[in-house]
Amino acid sequence: MPASVFAQLVGLSAGVLLLTSVLLVWKRSLIAAARLLAVQGFALAALVAVIGVNDHDSQLIAVAGLVLVLKGFVLPWVLDRSRVRTGAVREETPLLNTTAALLALSLLTMLAYLVSQPLRVLVPGPTTAAVPVGISLVLYGFLLLTTRRHAISQLVGFLVLDNGIATVAFLTSGGVPFVVELGASLDVLLVVLILRVLTSRMTAKFGGADLDELMELRD
Amino acid sequence: MAALVLLPLVACLVLAALTASRRSPWLCRFGGLAAAATALGSGIALSAAVLDGPPLTAGGLLRVDALSAFMLAVVGAVGLTATWGGLPTADAPQQDWLFSTLVALFLGAMSLAVLADNLGVLWIAVEATTIATAFLVGHHRTRRSLEAAWKYVVLGSVGVAIAFLGLVLVYAATVAAGRPTLSWIVLTQGHLALDPSLLKVAGALAILGFATKAGLAPMHSWLPDAHSQAPAPVSGLMSGVLLSVAFYAILRVQAVVNPVLGPSLMRGLLVTAGLLSLTVAGGLILRQRDLKRMLAYSSIEHMGLLALAAAAGGTLAIAAALLHVLGHGLAKSSLFVVSGRILTAEGTTKIADLRGLLTRRPGVAVPYLAGMAALLGLPPFSLFFSEVAIVVAGFQRGLGWVMAVAVVLLLVLFAGLARHSATMTLGTSGDTPARVASAASPDPASHGPRAPLVLALGVTAVIGFTAGPLSTLLQQAATILAGGR
Amino acid sequence: MNAGAVVLAAVQVTAMAILSPLLVGLMRQVRARLEGRVGAGVLQPWRDLRKLFAKESLQADGTSWVMAVGPVVLVASSALVCVLVPLVGTVAFPFVPDDLFVMVSVLLLGTVALALVGLDSGSAFGGMGSSRHMTIAALVEPTVLVSVYALSIPVGSSALSAIVHGRLVDPASVAAPVSLLALVALFVAVVAETGRMPVDNPSTHLELTMIHEAMVLESSGRDLAWLELGSWMRLGALLGLVASLLAPWGIASSVTLVTLVVGVLALVVKLAVLGSALAAGEVFLAKLRLFRVPELLAGSFVLAFVAVSASYLVVQG
Repeated sequence: MPASVFAQLVGLSAGVLLLTSVLLVWKRSLIAAARLLAVQGFALAALVAVIGVNDHDSQLIAVAGLVLVLKGFVLPWVLDRSRVRTGAVREETPLLNTTAALLALSLLTMLAYLVSQPLRVLVPGPTTAAVPVGISLVLYGFLLLTTRRHAISQLVGFLVLDNGIATVAFLTSGGVPFVVELGASLDVLLVVLILRVLTSRMTAKFGGADLDELMELRD
Repeated sequence: MAALVLLPLVACLVLAALTASRRSPWLCRFGGLAAAATALGSGIALSAAVLDGPPLTAGGLLRVDALSAFMLAVVGAVGLTATWGGLPTADAPQQDWLFSTLVALFLGAMSLAVLADNLGVLWIAVEATTIATAFLVGHHRTRRSLEAAWKYVVLGSVGVAIAFLGLVLVYAATVAAGRPTLSWIVLTQGHLALDPSLLKVAGALAILGFATKAGLAPMHSWLPDAHSQAPAPVSGLMSGVLLSVAFYAILRVQAVVNPVLGPSLMRGLLVTAGLLSLTVAGGLILRQRDLKRMLAYSSIEHMGLLALAAAAGGTLAIAAALLHVLGHGLAKSSLFVVSGRILTAEGTTKIADLRGLLTRRPGVAVPYLAGMAALLGLPPFSLFFSEVAIVVAGFQRGLGWVMAVAVVLLLVLFAGLARHSATMTLGTSGDTPARVASAASPDPASHGPRAPLVLALGVTAVIGFTAGPLSTLLQQAATILAGGR
Repeated sequence: MNAGAVVLAAVQVTAMAILSPLLVGLMRQVRARLEGRVGAGVLQPWRDLRKLFAKESLQADGTSWVMAVGPVVLVASSALVCVLVPLVGTVAFPFVPDDLFVMVSVLLLGTVALALVGLDSGSAFGGMGSSRHMTIAALVEPTVLVSVYALSIPVGSSALSAIVHGRLVDPASVAAPVSLLALVALFVAVVAETGRMPVDNPSTHLELTMIHEAMVLESSGRDLAWLELGSWMRLGALLGLVASLLAPWGIASSVTLVTLVVGVLALVVKLAVLGSALAAGEVFLAKLRLFRVPELLAGSFVLAFVAVSASYLVVQG
């Protein structure tokens, strides 16, 4: 694959990843969140496939298929089923209003660029140039986890965090060894399923999945 | 020999599968116990094997050196104490199959974590412990346990995900150095030219992630909730050995980072985390109103102390830290087991409602006092020796003022724990009619097997004095971490 | 070169002066047809202007010279923007640098003039409209700056003519995802700046929902004619900027009769397409409540910011 085409494709998938994350923070609709996560999964799978084709690594292309199935279909589907179970449609009362959250995103993007500077200096190239995108996703995931009050929103934040870490992994080293990749994917799937069960129990016990209800344990 | 390495893992998997499919009463009752016993047995056997010979490997992903064998033995010992001691009496509600399956899986995951050579497999095992314990924490299906389970899973998974990011960056550094690997032995002994600035970020992230799982402040907020809401044997397992397994992961990462960057980064991070944990625990211990929550804060204190020991570094500090891991694990799991029995007998774990236990229920109060004496670090229990050794090592290695602050905080915690324990056990039982009636006829029953508590606390009392194979094992483990064989 | 540039500037101003009311008429006509009405025809804005120019302009008690001067300043700033933005050709006007920051400052001049006109009459609605207008202008300006800056990074210069010329020469940069992201952000900013839906409804009659209309409530006759023409020329110039960046083909690189004619025709086509698309979109949008507008503008700012960082990514990597 010619170098300029490779750089453009990597830039395109990284751009889609970043755009979907911005939209996830911007929009408070939980229905749109599941769809945006699916698009993010497709973009991540495309990124992995592009890197695999460029490096002529068939194992990486198989991993791209795994990522597509898991992050593009299974996880958004599980998320959507959980959301239907809780009966929620929107995140009603986030701790940070939309404007402030969007401005926080700009600051976090700058932070991501600063943090990934040593890596970009060490290994210059189109893949490492896109590492700030992965770190931005991690930081956006943290923002969602800390400022959202609905259980499904926290789940979305966790999945964005995980997508960001996967992006950094694939961009910096062509992915971790296959065994580790498999184990990590299984772990994420199981965690999401566990959170789904906990969410349905929460809906049954508290009548909704608003995490403000969980305030009984404190010192 | 490779079979011996795989034995605890296979045994736990098989037991879990059998319990889930057969659901026989015997398996539901003794499944976890069998898994813990296998782990202990293999741990001791592997320690003996590794003391005389080279480290054992199996399949390229697992490797048993002195440290791994010791930690496996600790997992087994604490697991045995918690599962055996937590066996319900004949008239108490029996454990269901899900509980035993998850406990077996939990023990298997912890065994995998300490036996792993590949850091990725270590990470997978640590995440697997979160998965296995999620429903164990929420076992009671009350509102509070649901809240505790949610916080535990979310915070634990996020922390471990951060650790994964750190490991990914370590892998990237090895790729840049020309030899992609996640094997601990290659990373420490292979003389790879790892880039310092990248490794700095990677190491900090990995430590941050595993410190979340170890319950070090400021990422500790899940710990009091999870450990107080889980059933007693599970709390004993989590406080006693899961936190120590996360600490073990911190030690392994530290051994990878220190040769490249020098000890200052890790020392700074661990001193901050350790002192903060001690401060948080010390500040909140007097305000505790629940027995199990108080024990959970004590766990935070001890993990803080272990972090300070890791910050000090050197053979004495690490060997003392490992001894402390064993002693704390046995004492804490005994205490949680007793607290579970108190809950069954009295119906509450609120400190204000438990009065005069020594006169009314000596069968549970005596083990409680013995366990608390061990936990507070009174001689002859081994925690006394390990805490003293850690402080001395800290002074020797240049952390003098840190250790001074730590000693002050430890005294605060000593006072808090002693005060709460005295409130619960000593004196008369208050003046409610039911209590006056029961004061006339003290209940000597121990509400559960006595043998595991006697064994656990006995080992803790004796092990501080015995030299011999244990001290050799500990010294070997400490040397491995400092960059020896 | 000087004479050619001056000719080009004159052509741009005249073309926009003639085309802007037609553009607005087209947009109103498209909207009417989609809403099932017959519509007033594409030439109606010109008829309105002719009517207004023939009328005497009344000034309310307590107003000052600002009521008379403000509209003229608005038209002058709009004309200057038409000179600076490369609508028909990319030959830079020599007497005023066509830098991005200069264009934004000139736009701001017109914005302030309009706001002062609204304040001058001392009426409540005028003041309300002016304050809302300035709030939106304050939020829009960073987005315009950052999004055009993102487009300038591959070229290395912030002169508008250089940016458009760079995109004309290298078609791949037009389709790059970074440029699309920046253009989306710029489009949102333009919609907010020119008072179109969903930020402001240009055909509203309810004073409490007005932003732009409230400021011109007290003006009449020639003053109103200048205000309307000035606003329409701003709309035309900004839509023309977006069109030039989105589809730079047909823009003249040198000043000859043929290239100028081609450029003007291309501009007509692009404005017609873009205006119709905008009008059609407006039919399906509801006006945002005022406190939701900062959310929309912050979102477009973040998109522009992301475009800037991403374009550094592509340049370095």
